[in-house]
Amino acid sequence: MNRKVLLIGLAIVVPIVLVLFMNLGRDPRKVDSPLVGRPVIDFSLQEVSSKQPMDIAALRGKPMVINFWATWCVPCYAEHKVLTRIARANGSKVQFIGVVFDDEPAKILRFLAENGSAYPTLVDQGGKVAIAYGVYGVPETFFVDAKGTIVAKHEGPLTDSSLMNYIAMVTGGAR
Amino acid sequence: MKSLLPVLFLALLAAFPIGAQEVQLPAPDMIVGQPAGQPLTGAALEEQTEQVAGQLRCPVCQGLSVFDSPAPMAVNMKHQVRDLLAAGYTGEQITRYFEASYGEFVRLKPTMSGMNWIVWLAPIAMLGIGIWAVMSFLRRSNKSQRASEAVPDAGAVASAEADDPELLPYLLKVRELAYGWPGGNPPAEGDRS
Repeated sequence: MNRKVLLIGLAIVVPIVLVLFMNLGRDPRKVDSPLVGRPVIDFSLQEVSSKQPMDIAALRGKPMVINFWATWCVPCYAEHKVLTRIARANGSKVQFIGVVFDDEPAKILRFLAENGSAYPTLVDQGGKVAIAYGVYGVPETFFVDAKGTIVAKHEGPLTDSSLMNYIAMVTGGAR
Repeated sequence: MKSLLPVLFLALLAAFPIGAQEVQLPAPDMIVGQPAGQPLTGAALEEQTEQVAGQLRCPVCQGLSVFDSPAPMAVNMKHQVRDLLAAGYTGEQITRYFEASYGEFVRLKPTMSGMNWIVWLAPIAMLGIGIWAVMSFLRRSNKSQRASEAVPDAGAVASAEADDPELLPYLLKVRELAYGWPGGNPPAEGDRS
């Protein structure tokens, strides 16, 4: 009888302990993106300053950093400074693109006038591109290599060092 | 210079009026195939929108469906659900369409496949184990109650002694230990109470 109880207890406890152990280092709020490892989703949106449509398919062949943000997002202010600074230094080898959703063009233009701009900013009215990319919130950033494969997704604001690590990943260069 | 910023900004707005823009993305049929249902309109469209959006998890909320959430992201998703239903896509196709972007997380109800079976079967298994534990506890307590009621009487003891005289010393010892009878002999009838 005791042996039977022990076996049943083990059958319940061992899988629970295993699952907990396997996920010890995992952030419970993080959900893996099914897009990582898959081809980038092409989209065309209007650039906020020039009002011209921009198709990212035309940029194929160059690594890309696609950053989803909004002017109402407080962490995006600090991140914008990081992105602008690093885009100015690395713009020749990586194409930076900002995608703003749930926002108004007038506010975006004011934000860029006050905080600077070093790359195209596209307006995603209706959030269709954000939904296609499975965006949960802002800021979120996708990193695409020269072959057009999404190699990583970063949730939350980027720092100089994390951004440089991702750039090394998409350019195939070591830091 | 800072005081000039609003003027520059307004000038920029006037120079480039912002109108409705066209978003271009891969068509849904590239992800989930051709529409497998009938294009919906009117009340049927609204009813199905509620049903399908009610099965999708709002990505920016805690445990709310896309239909129930007032978050702009959820509202945008609800609009897409309505557009896709109007184009003839089925509820399952629409769910798969969003799953392609968000993963299975977007389903409020996980599918019955792979590891998800644990989610579906664990509550039933736990209920079964609970019932088994209660039943076996009740059975055990009934058995011990019956055993405690079965105190041997002097007649039964005497017949056991007569059965096997070689075991008598052991029998007496056991009785002494089990019942506390001195020397293993049952107390006289008057001392039993």
